[in-house]
Amino acid sequence: MVLTFVEIGISKEEALEALQVVRQECHGDATRTAGGSGATRKCTALELLEEEQAQGFIITFCSALDNILGGGVQLTKITEICGAPGVGKTQLCMQLAVDVQIPECFGGVAGEAVFIDTEGSFMVDRVVEIATACVRHCQLIAEAHQEEDNLKALETFSLESILSHIYYFRCRDYVELLAQVYLLPDFLSEHSKVRLVVVDGIAFPFRHDFEDLSLRTRLLNGLAQQLIIIANDHKSAVVLTNQMTTRIGQSQSTLVPALGESWGHAATVRLIFHWDNSQRLATLYKSPSQKESTIPYHITSHGFRDVQPPAVTQNAEDTEMNPRKRPRREEEK
Amino acid sequence: MVVLRAGLCPGLTEEMIQLLRAGGTRTVVDFVSSDLEDIAQKCSLSYKALVAVRRVLLAQFSAFPTNGAVLYEELKSSTAILPTGSPSLDQLLDSGLYTGEVTELMGAPGSGKTQVCLGIAASVSLGLKQPVLFLDSTGGFTASRLYQILQAQAEDKEEQLEALQRIQVVRVFNIYEMLSALQELRDRLSQQVVSSTGPLKIVVIDSVSAVIYPLLGGKQSEGLAIMMQLARELKTLAREFSLAVVVTNQVTRDSSTGQLKPALGRSWSFVPSTRVLLESKEATWEKATTQRIASLAKSSRQPTGIQVEVDIGNSHVKELSPATPTQGL
Repeated sequence: MVLTFVEIGISKEEALEALQVVRQECHGDATRTAGGSGATRKCTALELLEEEQAQGFIITFCSALDNILGGGVQLTKITEICGAPGVGKTQLCMQLAVDVQIPECFGGVAGEAVFIDTEGSFMVDRVVEIATACVRHCQLIAEAHQEEDNLKALETFSLESILSHIYYFRCRDYVELLAQVYLLPDFLSEHSKVRLVVVDGIAFPFRHDFEDLSLRTRLLNGLAQQLIIIANDHKSAVVLTNQMTTRIGQSQSTLVPALGESWGHAATVRLIFHWDNSQRLATLYKSPSQKESTIPYHITSHGFRDVQPPAVTQNAEDTEMNPRKRPRREEEK
Repeated sequence: MVVLRAGLCPGLTEEMIQLLRAGGTRTVVDFVSSDLEDIAQKCSLSYKALVAVRRVLLAQFSAFPTNGAVLYEELKSSTAILPTGSPSLDQLLDSGLYTGEVTELMGAPGSGKTQVCLGIAASVSLGLKQPVLFLDSTGGFTASRLYQILQAQAEDKEEQLEALQRIQVVRVFNIYEMLSALQELRDRLSQQVVSSTGPLKIVVIDSVSAVIYPLLGGKQSEGLAIMMQLARELKTLAREFSLAVVVTNQVTRDSSTGQLKPALGRSWSFVPSTRVLLESKEATWEKATTQRIASLAKSSRQPTGIQVEVDIGNSHVKELSPATPTQGL
C-alpha cells in the first residue's frame, strides 16, 4: 500500500502519516489485531473439510443459481459476477446484502454486510423492496412451521434491522477504493458479524485514465490478495462485479470479462451473466468444486428469483419490473 | 543469502546471533568471509566458539565436487516418480512427477490447474500413503472437492479420512509468508524429524504468480529480486531433500501477437524443468465442458509439443486417447 503512494509522488513518511491519521479517526485507539500470521493458517485437509461442512452459504433466492453454486455464495471465497450492463449484477449484490442477514433458523448465516459502491448504482428504495419481500418470505415460513426459534428470530429480523446492518461506503476513484480495502480489516475486526463484502464495480475505477497498464495489473493483483486475506481471516464471502469487454479475434469478436487475463485468477468463483434473446442466463464459468453450467433467472419486484415454469409465465411477465433498466427487446439488438 | 539463525548449527545460540548482528554480520557469507579475531573483539565472543561454528557452517554450506558416476548412483537411489492421478498426464510427464525437480502447470483462469493439483495431492496421499504439503495462495483449495476426488478413487471411508489427514494445507497470501513457510519446511526437513506418516516427497504450490504479481511492474524493481529468491528456495528444496515441487502459474496475453504466454516472464521460465500448459477444448466460455488439453511446453526428457486430453470432471482417473502432436507453444 505504501509503495503505491510512492508511485503517486508523495514521500513514504507522508504516506504513513496519512494512513495513521485516517486509521485513528475511524477507529480510535483500538489495537490492531493481527489478521492471522502464516503460522496459524496451517491445518490438515481433514480439519478444513470439517470447517467447510459446518459453514453456511448465502442463498440467492434463485434455487437454480444456488444449485449450480453448490448451495449458494460460499463464505471465505471470492465470487466474481461479470455481465453486460443491465443484466442484473447490482440486483444480485443488493439481494445478497439482504440475504446474508437471514437468521440461522431459516437457513441463513445471520451476518451483516459491507457494500462498497464505486458506480453509484446502490438504490436504497430497491433494497427496501427486496428486504420487505425477504421478511415476508420468512414470516410465511414461520407461520407454516410454528416453531419457537423461528418466531423469536423474526422479532429481530425486520426492515429497520436489515437496513441498519448494511454498511455502505462510496469510493469515487481507485485510490479511495484501494485505501478502503486496506482499512477494511480494522473495520471488520470491530464489526465481527460481517459475513459479506460486496464491491460493486471493481472494473469502473480501473478502466479509465490509467496510462501505465503494468501499474494497473500490479495494483489489481495486490487488491486481489488483500481481498483473499479478508475473505479468509474474517470468514466472509467477497462478491465483486466486473464489466465485459470485446476481444477482437481474427474472424469473430467475443465478449469477455474486463480487466485482462491476470484478473481472471483473482476470483475463485466466476459467474457470467448474459442474455439469450430476452431471457437472462447465468453461467458458472470457474469454480473449484462445481461443474460449469448455465441456468436462467428472473429479476422480479421482489428481487432475484427463479424462472417460473412455462404454465405460469403469463403472470410472470407482468410482475417483471426492474425500475432502473428496461428489459431488452428484439429490435434493440 | 542464508541469514544466520539460532539452531542453524550447534553452538550458534540466540544471544550469539544478536551480538553478531549488532556487529554487522548477518548472513553466513559475512560470517565465513570475515576475520574471526576481529569479530571476537567487536562482539565480545570467544574465539574458539567462533572457530567451531565456522567449521560447521563451512561443512554445511560448501559445495563439494563430485563425478557423473557418483551422481548417477545417487539419483538412482533417491529419485522417485510420483503418479499424478491421471494416466494421460503421467504419460505426458514421462511416467509422472520426478522428485528433485520443479514442475510447472500453467493455464488461463478456469483451465483446471487447481483441479489437477488436488488430483495430485489425492493420488500421492491415497495411492502412496505419503504426506503432501499444499501451499495455497489463492484461496482456491476446497476440501470438499478433494473429498469428492478421494471418494471416487477409494471405497473405504477410513482410508479417505486418513488420506485427508496426510495432506497438510498452509495458507500463505503474500510472498513473505510463502518464503517463511518454505524456510520452516526446510528447517523441519533438515532436522530430520521423522513423522509418523513417512517422509515428505511432494510440495504443491497453488499459485506462485498470485503472490509475485503484486510486486512486479510499475517502478519498483525489487519484485524481480524477490521472485528469484523464491525460485532459488524452491530449486534447492527440490534438490537437497529430493522433493517433487509442483507450482501453478498464470498465462498472460502477448500484447503484440495476442497469443497466450506464461506469466512471470523470461526469468521465471528457467526455473521449472518441466512446463505443462492446460487449455480448455472450447474457445469461448459459452460451451461448458470438463475436457482439457494438456500440452508439454518445456521438458528435458520428452519432445515438446505433445498433447493429451485430461478430464477434470468427477472421475479424475478417466481419460481419452492422446491427441496428435502439433506445434509447440
